[in-house]
Amino acid sequence: MTVLESIPEKLGVDAPWVEKGGVHWLNPSPLSVRELAQAMNALHARFITITAYQLPKEEGLRLEYHWDLDGQLLGFPFQLAGNSIESIYDLCEAVDWIEREIHEGFAVDFLGRKYEPLLLREGDTPGVNLRETGTPNKPASGLLGQEEVK
Amino acid sequence: MSYKIPMGPYHPALEEPYKLDMICEGETVIDVNLHIGFNFRGIEHLAETRNYIQVIALMERVCGICSNIHTLTLCQAMEQLTGLTPPPRAQYIRVVMAELERLHSHVLWAGIAAKLMGFKTMFMTCFELREQVMDVLSAISGNRVNYSMNRIGGVNRDIEDPLALLPMIDKLEREMVRTVIPIFTTSTTARSRCAGIGVLTHEKAVSCGVVGPTARASGLPQDLRRAAPYAAYAEMEFEVPVQPDGDVRARLLVRALEIMESCKILRQALTKMPPGEFHTGEAKPAFTTGTATARVEAPRGEVMYSVSWIKDARNPARVHVRTPTFANMPAIRWMVVGARLADTPLIQASIDPCYSCTDR
Repeated sequence: MTVLESIPEKLGVDAPWVEKGGVHWLNPSPLSVRELAQAMNALHARFITITAYQLPKEEGLRLEYHWDLDGQLLGFPFQLAGNSIESIYDLCEAVDWIEREIHEGFAVDFLGRKYEPLLLREGDTPGVNLRETGTPNKPASGLLGQEEVK
Repeated sequence: MSYKIPMGPYHPALEEPYKLDMICEGETVIDVNLHIGFNFRGIEHLAETRNYIQVIALMERVCGICSNIHTLTLCQAMEQLTGLTPPPRAQYIRVVMAELERLHSHVLWAGIAAKLMGFKTMFMTCFELREQVMDVLSAISGNRVNYSMNRIGGVNRDIEDPLALLPMIDKLEREMVRTVIPIFTTSTTARSRCAGIGVLTHEKAVSCGVVGPTARASGLPQDLRRAAPYAAYAEMEFEVPVQPDGDVRARLLVRALEIMESCKILRQALTKMPPGEFHTGEAKPAFTTGTATARVEAPRGEVMYSVSWIKDARNPARVHVRTPTFANMPAIRWMVVGARLADTPLIQASIDPCYSCTDR
């Protein structure tokens, strides 16, 4: 059994790995993101990034956490019920800037951490949500609408 | 008594904006705060308003140095969504372009590092060498900066006579061995400016998740060309230079050795380039619904693209870019703490930062 194959059992996750689109995906439920981060630390996996997806209105947001394990790219999706999730900054220093960026770009609150002053500035409000304020053909205050190139 | 020295938002060495607030006691830096975001362009959002041809041209402009790497990574992700596999010749051409870009980036960095150390003649020598690399890039692609080489399913232009490029590789390698590397490795001035300066320990390199030469100079042997080969890298023989010291000198040595390895890879790719088509010839690729991710070892480290598409849509639903400097730059804090104020410009430059990439 490879290290990768042994991970679901170690994590106590029933679902198997699904390799798709260049990523080994694992549904981490019922683990919390902090439990996952601790498990990745124990495996000496290297944190890469978090990708945020804004889903259709009623579905909220999805965050995909990525780690590298010996050249294999691992992906763990987390569906956000509201707009908050626990921060893993104290467990994984490398998430600092991407948590800040998602906080500012998608108004996601990473609970249990402090933020530096905003990087992406639009007044003092977090959540410079370009998908809402800069939707094609719908100019909003402060940002010009991006005309879709025909 | 401590006092704060703001450096930036204009970098003392590189004409790009970011800000470093340094708390000093005497000449020693005791803490640092980094500020980015001065050049935020919203490129990820713009990508959602561009079709599959336009988005390649857009992402090529994420970075002015490793523009080719961005389109390569993007195209590799989009190829997964379209089911297109580039022909072998295209994979070799991609390796040639990627390694030429690495040479151009590393030699440019060596020149800037030399200038910061006070070696202005070495700066000119490096830039003269860089011009030669750019001449080759221009001869292949017709462009010096944004090469427009990658497309979904291959490359846009062939290298008609690969062996004709070999003399340039020989000349560059000769010059590096004869002038640049000896000065960087043996000169007393270079040693005193770089050795033991701006140390990023192995432990900190791991916890900060740094990538590329910055990681390899702190003893981490990570390189996607070896760990997760893409294009034709699985068929290339090369070493991954690693240095244990984690200081500016180690970062300098890693890049110098990587220049030699790039020459080795280029020679193999040009000599062994298989005949055949250089793209799949698809007039209009058909995207499936889903997300695909690709990673590539850029000159500064790992670049990752996640691309989401909905079937029959004109534009991507989401494009997320993780650039190497975004991973490396927070580590500057740990390199600078304890350093002399006068060393901080060189320390900052030693990760070869790209603020354009970072801000996207």
